[in-house]
Amino acid sequence: MATVKNLLKIKGTDVWSVPVTATLRETLKLMAEKNIGAVLVMDGDKIAGIFSERDYARNAARHESLLLDNLVSEFMTRAVYYVSPKQTVEECMALMTSKHIRHLPVLDDDQKLVGLISIGDVVKQVLEEKETTIQGLENYILGRGYSG
Amino acid sequence: MATVKDLLKEKYTQVWYVTPSSTVLDALKLMAEQKIGAVLVVEAGKIVGIFSERDFARKAADGTASLQTPVNDLMVKAVYYVTPEQSVESCMALMTAKRFRHLPVLDGDKLVGVISIGDVVKQLMLEKDMTIQSLEDYIWVHMI
Repeated sequence: MATVKNLLKIKGTDVWSVPVTATLRETLKLMAEKNIGAVLVMDGDKIAGIFSERDYARNAARHESLLLDNLVSEFMTRAVYYVSPKQTVEECMALMTSKHIRHLPVLDDDQKLVGLISIGDVVKQVLEEKETTIQGLENYILGRGYSG
Repeated sequence: MATVKDLLKEKYTQVWYVTPSSTVLDALKLMAEQKIGAVLVVEAGKIVGIFSERDFARKAADGTASLQTPVNDLMVKAVYYVTPEQSVESCMALMTAKRFRHLPVLDGDKLVGVISIGDVVKQLMLEKDMTIQSLEDYIWVHMI
């Protein structure tokens, strides 16, 4: 079963982030440029939060304002779940499903940020693995059938 | 293999929509209330577009949106849809290729639901697990 480390090898370890001092205008521009749904918010080399398109849509509705000059730190989600490179992709899937989140930062043993995985990456991997299992079982049955 | 109809049966499929003249704020409030990521834009019973959190975030970033802008100006007008008879796998392929998270379901001219990528993935996982289970059962019964 694939681990987060395997997944990062395929998708790369680029992580897009903004500092806690960024405005929402700066944050949204980065998300548009990189065509991503969420960015990490960093306080130095520590994760302070995560900010998504959903956070933006919900807060704009609540405050009835585009909030473009406000700081991202006011509206980010502070409780950030994360995973380690050793965890399996299925564990990530379970965490994302139960917490209703689409992105998980990856922290190594030294709590260093080494990547960000999205639900799309995870789903693709899990479906591929199930498909491989099915192929393997079918081949086993067919192979045994022919030889027997 | 499951069809779109099976997916719709499993969940309560209220379709949330706004009209082209609704404001962005109206649409965002509806999305927040219903905890959904996108709303259909419907005029005279016809789907004319779809408006998502992403459309809003992108247009706000480039300065072309205000909360009083009509949804008509920001929505995506090319709406792909599926029919109740289509397979769930074909929906997944369409969503992946076009990078959509939502697809309206049309039965003839009638809008009968919206399916999300979450529903589709859940169903596909379930089907693959069932296939694996039955292959394993076959091996246990016939080959070991």
